[in-house]
Amino acid sequence: MKVDRRSFLGLGLGAVAGIAISPVGAKLTDDLSIWTQNWPWTPVPPDGEITYDHSVCSLCPGTCGITVRKIDGRPVKVEGRDTYPVNNGGACLHGIAGLQYLYDPSRVRTPLRKINTRFVPVSWEDALSLVADRLGELREKQTPEALACITDTDQGSVAGLFKHFMAAFGSPNLLTMPDLESWLAKAAETLHGSGHTLGFDLDHADFVLSFGAGLIDGWGSPVACFKAVAGRKQRDAKLIQFEPRLSNTAAAADKWIPVNPGTEADLALAMCGVLLRENLFEPEFADGFKGGFMRFNAMVQEKYPVEAVADLTGVPAVIIEETAIAFAKAKMPVALPGKGRGDGAQSLKEFAAVHTLNCLVGNINKKGGTFVRQNTDYLDFPYPVQDAVARKGMAAPRQAASVQELTARINQSGESELKVLMVYNANPCYSLNDPSSIRTAFEKIPFKVCFSSFMDETAMVSDVILPISTFLERMEDVPSKAGFAGSVVGLAKPVVNPVFDTRSPGDAVIQIARALGGTLSQSFGWRNYEACLEEVAAGIWDDLIRQGYAVLLNPFPAEPVTTDFAFLAENPETIQPAGEYEFTLIPIDNIGITTTVPASSPFAIKTVSDRIIKGQDMFVEINPQTASGLKDGGFVTLTTPAGSARVRVDFNDGIMPGVIGMVKGLGHRFDNKYVAGKGVNVNDLISPVIEPGSGTDAAFGVKAGISRA
Amino acid sequence: MSEIENKTEHGSMDGATACAAGDPKNDTGLGLGVIFFIVAFLICFLSGWLLFPKLLYSKHEQPFNFDHVLHVEEAGSCDACHFLREDGTFSGIPKMVSCLECHTDEPMGDTPDELIFAREYVAKEREVPWFVYAKQPDCVFFSHAAHINAAGMDCKTCHGPIGETRTSRPYEENRLTGYSRDIWGKNIWGIKKNSWDRMKMNDCAKCHEQETGHKGYCFQCHK
Amino acid sequence: MIQDKIAHKFGMVIDLDKCTGCGSCTVSCMSENNVPFKEDESDKKDSITWMRVYRLTNGKPFPDAQIVYLPRPCQHCGGTGDHGHSPCVSVCPATATDYGYDTGIVSQIYTRCFGCRYCMVSCPYHARYFNWWDPVWPEGMEKYLSPNVSPRMRGVVEKCSFCYHRYQLAREKAYVDGVDEIAEAAYQTACTTACPAAAITFGDLNNPAHKVHQIVKPDPHPDPMNPGVVGKSRNPKVFRLLERLGTNPKVYYMSEREWVRKLGDSYLEGEWEKVKNIYGSASQ
Repeated sequence: MKVDRRSFLGLGLGAVAGIAISPVGAKLTDDLSIWTQNWPWTPVPPDGEITYDHSVCSLCPGTCGITVRKIDGRPVKVEGRDTYPVNNGGACLHGIAGLQYLYDPSRVRTPLRKINTRFVPVSWEDALSLVADRLGELREKQTPEALACITDTDQGSVAGLFKHFMAAFGSPNLLTMPDLESWLAKAAETLHGSGHTLGFDLDHADFVLSFGAGLIDGWGSPVACFKAVAGRKQRDAKLIQFEPRLSNTAAAADKWIPVNPGTEADLALAMCGVLLRENLFEPEFADGFKGGFMRFNAMVQEKYPVEAVADLTGVPAVIIEETAIAFAKAKMPVALPGKGRGDGAQSLKEFAAVHTLNCLVGNINKKGGTFVRQNTDYLDFPYPVQDAVARKGMAAPRQAASVQELTARINQSGESELKVLMVYNANPCYSLNDPSSIRTAFEKIPFKVCFSSFMDETAMVSDVILPISTFLERMEDVPSKAGFAGSVVGLAKPVVNPVFDTRSPGDAVIQIARALGGTLSQSFGWRNYEACLEEVAAGIWDDLIRQGYAVLLNPFPAEPVTTDFAFLAENPETIQPAGEYEFTLIPIDNIGITTTVPASSPFAIKTVSDRIIKGQDMFVEINPQTASGLKDGGFVTLTTPAGSARVRVDFNDGIMPGVIGMVKGLGHRFDNKYVAGKGVNVNDLISPVIEPGSGTDAAFGVKAGISRA
Repeated sequence: MSEIENKTEHGSMDGATACAAGDPKNDTGLGLGVIFFIVAFLICFLSGWLLFPKLLYSKHEQPFNFDHVLHVEEAGSCDACHFLREDGTFSGIPKMVSCLECHTDEPMGDTPDELIFAREYVAKEREVPWFVYAKQPDCVFFSHAAHINAAGMDCKTCHGPIGETRTSRPYEENRLTGYSRDIWGKNIWGIKKNSWDRMKMNDCAKCHEQETGHKGYCFQCHK
Repeated sequence: MIQDKIAHKFGMVIDLDKCTGCGSCTVSCMSENNVPFKEDESDKKDSITWMRVYRLTNGKPFPDAQIVYLPRPCQHCGGTGDHGHSPCVSVCPATATDYGYDTGIVSQIYTRCFGCRYCMVSCPYHARYFNWWDPVWPEGMEKYLSPNVSPRMRGVVEKCSFCYHRYQLAREKAYVDGVDEIAEAAYQTACTTACPAAAITFGDLNNPAHKVHQIVKPDPHPDPMNPGVVGKSRNPKVFRLLERLGTNPKVYYMSEREWVRKLGDSYLEGEWEKVKNIYGSASQ
């Protein structure tokens, strides 16, 4: 017998036969088919018990109540909180995408210190003592006023702690970023005296005259505004939108009236003139008019005749007259100032002029009207303990009224008078006009501390970054603001332990003060931020803990209101955009894109239209009537006094001829491939123009030229 | 089985005959071929039955032995620990919180398992990483509430007499699919004697068809 | 016990006059259903958005231009005659998608799908999306994924499920509460609850007590002019997309504005004039 081909054949056949009548075939067939459906590298989210936590979103001034769904303590979804007095269910896309911010690739994960040009991780203790040392030097040199601090808002206890810190330290240079609330407060202060602010009862108003206020483009408390706009049909309420562009608000309005950009104040004053001429103002409310009401009347009749304003604004005279009269005759009229989101560069003249319409018709502190109310100060901070150094510093003159004024001043001087800058939850190096000039000024300040959750443009130019827990990881009081009719304080609670080595900003401030010792330590006797909050918000603490919010004022303010016309009677100058070009470039606020802190989430960027951003290229909207020689979608070079950019053209029939628009909030330059590196920051193209009355940038746009690229 | 065997053998004989026809003198290889065939057959047949199941599944011992009998005696019934939550979802294997309703970080008995539990998990505040025999893949949605409350089924129908065990058998995981062995069944052919022996989609569908008249739509059990 | 024998027909009506185009529905949907995202999402053909908001215009020059936003989830077509032969279901060679006759919801089973994309071709609404890449979340971000919806993998198609898992959870709750019927509020999709303008109304089109039924007033009889079309709205302001095709979507749209309703289909010259006063506009 010899081994030959047949033996091997036998071997093979035997093996096949043996396998065939064993379970291998059947079992492997089944298993392999399942194997092809297995993707072990796709995550399998662990299951568990579903629980819900109530909190408040503080991503924007909207302050919506949120409910966070958790699985075994792991947050998986943010939704609007039902029955919360601001949003009453429903939420905006940024809040819903809030969990993405927890794990955002650009989060600052540990305290960082800049050595040469690189950031090096340091411990919290080292970072805090570094900051305290630099601050201590200022006090030793008896120049505490060389410290400046920029916060996002002046509302709430965290801003209160910064204010407390600055007072105990001895510097008057505490500045806030220009948000809608700050503009409303400025307007209220101008017309009704300091300590006031404005709210608008949009849920009940039956005639809303909006001077570019993007009610559904992010103005005010967005969800509350959405509801008010959507609920119009049932209430038979009208919304009239003056705006150079068919924004979403204009598209949803009952009437869109295009108006030349930057002439809204003139339009409002002409309408005031119509009301005064036709004697359509409310006599009872006029009892409170003072400070040159007659002068104001004469001024508007002389300087703002309807015909002339019609030419200036592009709104036909008959429409101005009709709209003014319809506004005065409505039962519950409200006029809204604040273009787009109402933050950033706005004009005090415009705010005051628009609000004067409210004052003239007298629908003030009534249902469906405008609420003029005292700032509801629910926080009771103790007086800071000040030593001689602090008192001397506080007596020094304030360097500037706004961040832009401050940076302009630094850029003009040889050496910065400011030696230390603290920035909390703000990104001035991105979100203000001409941010490069702000960066230049910041570079002249020797030491900058950034309290930030994200490595954004401002954090990048800082010397020390103190990483702050996001709104989902910390406790904080969140007062309603930005024109919201009610006065509600919500309590944001940590729904998850800090993901990284971050701390609450309040704790960071307290710890810096403690490290400074002396009177600062005495001023900050609290164990931690939570103890501080419980003490300073003692009056509403029970409500905050029990229901997650406290209602301060219900239903509306009752005190008598006086109106001072002195500011407008002087006929302050209307701001003109910089430059000598053919077009007027205006920034566009889009609800899907955030323009301040934090930058948009990946989900938010995903919703952005491909006619706003395509790949890395950004579009500029232009009316086809004034786009001769240009191709829809083609590349052009946009040139303004502040700079130039290569963008694509988007033919849009909804923008006034001669006006071009670019969406705000893109063109970030930090390390986050989902959000940054897309398009152009429109602020880079806009030169600031400081308005004399407010000391704040009021450049609503800029002149721009277009050439084919 | 034998039929297949016969066929295969015939096949090989046919081949041999065909060969022989071509070269009639040289037919000595056939005998060796048969031996080779038998050897190969036996090796493959036995490996298929005995070795293959061993290779196919990897065994994992539970973190420590769990005595269901003892716990049923103490706690009363299955749903004392494996309960439906108020929202209708099923709690599954109890978390440490449930255990601590009775246990402390002092061992309650004197078994080594008690000691492991108390020292390694209770004292260190760790969850016990149990292997779940009845674990279904991620694409499956299973409603315990529907089967217990609505259909009135008892645990045993699907889970078998696990409540009557004193020791925890090792968890066996299919190396190819990553599924628990209980899904296909202990029997390597997948032959089912008891209702709880196998838990594949067809088993669900069969019961659904009997009980509700319809196998159900995809989304009823898949997510 | 829940009466499975009574067939539901879940559907929604979207008030386009209320929709602000804000995108809350899109984000709520993505967050609820573990939809991934990638570095560049500006190529909308491969950007997975189960609920996509389209921006439509009236095509008129300044100053008569108008915009409307149209959110588009899966339309959960009932197919010709509403017999469950949805365009996508009838072409799937893998039975990875089926029509739930108990709910009217069109399913999509990712593990079953082998990625031939026939369904995407057959869907007249572009409601289905293909995973060209494996989903990748930035480090740590996979911790927010929900266990109620399986994350997908490359090579499979996905689409809106009307948040079926929410229906499942509502049923579980109903089982332990021992109630017979799932309340209208107990099962609502993520887009519906997120919409800040309350533009979306979701419920059972078969249940006259549900708001969606009251708004849509679906006609139980086939359209005499086009017998494949069933469930036309008897509300003259309500329409469906491409209704004449007889796909019988369960997503209805509502608008006071005629030009918006006209956008629901591609009408040839003169066609709209003939049908515009007929409710649903599906005839011919």
